[in-house]
Amino acid sequence: MVVKDVVGTLARLGLAAVWLVSGGLKAVDPEQAYLAVAAFDVLPSGAVSPVASALPFVELALGLLLVVGFGTRPVAVVSAVLLVAFVAGVAQAWARGLSIDCGCFGGGGAVAPSETRYPQEIARDTAFLALAAWLMVRPRTLLAADGLVGPPRRVTEDVAQDGV
Amino acid sequence: MGGAERAQRRRRQQQTAAKRPAKSSTVVQAARASTGSGGDRNRLLKGIIVVAVIAAVVIGGVLWQRSRSAPPDAAPVRTITAEYPVTIDGGVVVAGEGSAEVTVDVYEDFLCPACGTFEERDAAKIEQALAAGTVKVRYHMLNLLDQQSNPPGYSLDAAAAGVCAAEAGEFPSFHASLFGAQPREGGHGYTIDQLVQLGRDVGITGPAFESCVRDGTHADAVRAELESARTDPALRRPNPNGGDYFGTPTVVADGKLVDLGNPNWLDDAIGEAG
Repeated sequence: MVVKDVVGTLARLGLAAVWLVSGGLKAVDPEQAYLAVAAFDVLPSGAVSPVASALPFVELALGLLLVVGFGTRPVAVVSAVLLVAFVAGVAQAWARGLSIDCGCFGGGGAVAPSETRYPQEIARDTAFLALAAWLMVRPRTLLAADGLVGPPRRVTEDVAQDGV
Repeated sequence: MGGAERAQRRRRQQQTAAKRPAKSSTVVQAARASTGSGGDRNRLLKGIIVVAVIAAVVIGGVLWQRSRSAPPDAAPVRTITAEYPVTIDGGVVVAGEGSAEVTVDVYEDFLCPACGTFEERDAAKIEQALAAGTVKVRYHMLNLLDQQSNPPGYSLDAAAAGVCAAEAGEFPSFHASLFGAQPREGGHGYTIDQLVQLGRDVGITGPAFESCVRDGTHADAVRAELESARTDPALRRPNPNGGDYFGTPTVVADGKLVDLGNPNWLDDAIGEAG
């Protein structure tokens, strides 16, 4: 039990670090983030700008919630959805023969064909997906806000009523 | 008397309380198992808070981002004093004397950073050769990077405005000014208003230039130039791992693709012709 809590805690903090670093690097360089999103060439051109400007902050928000350990399960679900979307984006770029950098941790955009690293990018995102999956199945972790705001305490309510 | 009664009642309460927890928790568990309402409500509340936190961070972040990303400041004017004729040929701007022995084709995009670097290094030499009448340059200003500005389309606006400036007789300074203060790729390009203003700043008078820029009069010609450049096998460079591609800047001197790694390419081309 305790071992699983420790593993879960490491998964939570690890995924938090991933989101905070990736979101932070994108947030400080909005032009590069825009180029990275545009390079995937999947969104209609009107959607690139809103997605590119919102994405860094979605990642930062997920990171913050994971650090605090609040709503670990829903946050893990959203993380997994996002990671699956990233993997799909990289896979379609690979399949279509685009030569881009995913811009997962800053950078991104078109690169020379010899500089693409699709297998590594997909493997990395899959590893992050495993962290999210663990937290979806077993969101209980140590040092988490989730542990403080547990289920409603009917017990004390009952006692108080009896006392009257 | 009253004190003893109170003490007795307190004792009774404590006994009840001590018995309570076990009993209560089974009741609660049973209730939760049958309806699940307490856990669901808790989960729903948590989900709402999670969504609210994400929404707040995203809205705050996007507003903060928007406050920092505005169109670039007006491009400062770079005046080209060299005198040489400029004409247009469809979407191509032809600079220099018709009698010049060497013809150079330059394929550029006003947003492309490598084109900015190329201009920075070689523009002065090219201007000299144009003024001397040894070279004529066909500028193909392309909209290759239309999707790479935010909002998209700066490449096309600027390229079409460049042809308008050529019509108005002020292409050299307009071209040099836009490359001199190039907007960042992925960022906001110059607006139509700023392009019109730059035209005035480099000395274009009369209403024809403004309507030419605003109406995108030469936009289709620019698009056609990009299409023919992209499909021209002579302009393609090999990829390190197979295939080939067209990119900017691409320079062709007398029909031969120039290796821009050689900083003396222009002198070499003039030497070969002479």
